[in-house]
Amino acid sequence: MVVYRRDTRRRYVLALLIVTSLVLISLDSGGSGIIGSLRSAARDVIAPVQNLVDDAFNPIRNWVNDVTDAGKLRSENEALRKQIDELQGKVNRDKAVGSEVGQLEQLLDLPTIEDATGVAARVIGGAAGNFQRTVEIDRGTGSGIDVGMPVVTGAGLVGTVQEASHSRATVRLIDDPGTNGGGVGVRTERARVQGIAVARAGDRLLHMSFIEDPAKADIKKGELVFTSATKDAAYPPDIAVAKVVSIDRRNGDLEPDVALQPVVDLDRLVFVKVLRWPETGGSNGATSDGGSSG
Amino acid sequence: MLVVIQTTVIPHLRVFDAGPDLVLLATIAVAYEEGPDTGAIFGFASGLTLDLFLATPLGCSALAFAVVGYLVGVFQGGMLRPSGWVAPVLGAVGGLAGNSLFVVVASIAGEDGLLNGHSVKIIVVASLYDAVLARLVFPIGRWAAHDPDALPR
Repeated sequence: MVVYRRDTRRRYVLALLIVTSLVLISLDSGGSGIIGSLRSAARDVIAPVQNLVDDAFNPIRNWVNDVTDAGKLRSENEALRKQIDELQGKVNRDKAVGSEVGQLEQLLDLPTIEDATGVAARVIGGAAGNFQRTVEIDRGTGSGIDVGMPVVTGAGLVGTVQEASHSRATVRLIDDPGTNGGGVGVRTERARVQGIAVARAGDRLLHMSFIEDPAKADIKKGELVFTSATKDAAYPPDIAVAKVVSIDRRNGDLEPDVALQPVVDLDRLVFVKVLRWPETGGSNGATSDGGSSG
Repeated sequence: MLVVIQTTVIPHLRVFDAGPDLVLLATIAVAYEEGPDTGAIFGFASGLTLDLFLATPLGCSALAFAVVGYLVGVFQGGMLRPSGWVAPVLGAVGGLAGNSLFVVVASIAGEDGLLNGHSVKIIVVASLYDAVLARLVFPIGRWAAHDPDALPR
């Protein structure tokens, strides 16, 4: 009799915990402001401890990276010198057309990346779980960061701010399958054909889904794709996103399978910049500091 | 503290995109020492804390860890005497069960991109990682359950 009552009580406890979990899941999925506030508060509470641990672990991390990467550094150095020479040539060519594009943009009143100011931030941690591709940065709403803002480095696009508390923000990387509801609007470098760069689970490469006729693109391996200039775009235009690494054309397929490698090494992020985009403010519909998405 | 370690240290220790689940291991350790009631409640509380730092809906880890804590506690009740292999085996099996349940619950809650072969790979690698770290975490769990002989002197 005692065993029966104890087992029954245990099952009630477990059932209560399961029901509570399901209620919380429903509330959070529906965009509860209270849960958003709890998340923000939790991040701000552990922020000082995170800073201490990150500062303590940084030298060890750098030493390990130096030791494990020593063998690659020389060949990377040579490849980078060659790349710099090629890029210098490209910069010179771009200068020739840059003034014409600038005049056109002014005429059409199109926003550009030069219009976007930003906040520099340091990456202080990765995803807490194994099933998401995010990083934590040491700036938040207190520095003017808001959910939905694009995040870049000098090389190109990193991702989007997914959550933000007063002193911390979570950035969802562009190779996370959940980014932006499924992809980044891009255009090819040469033919400027529009498409969407989509992330797939388990694959660090992006894959191009063409909006326009892919035959017009005449896409080549090594070609870059940039964020596209469209009204109400999530990103400023002309930010480098990825480079074409393979093109797979199969008989019967409507479009080739174009694999893209992000230009930014998303596993070695140290400093990023959060762009205040669009400049007029407003998020892309996600929550921030407990506010609901409306 | 485990959540802080999980977000600042563990990302740099990932192998094949998978890292150990310290919070889940702690739940298994406590459940093994204290039984299903405490295991389920500890799993719920620790999972809920971890959920505050995840992109998935709040409650996914709480549910998964509560169930794993309960089941480990029930298993513990059926053991006649402890053995040295218990920690790594429970760590691996608990890690498999906990992560699998998390993936299923999060997918039902609307998260995309979880039900695929890549998640299976992550779950397997993470459970192996958990098996290795279980030998470190179990004594800590025993000490937390107020057993002064748990940690080596």
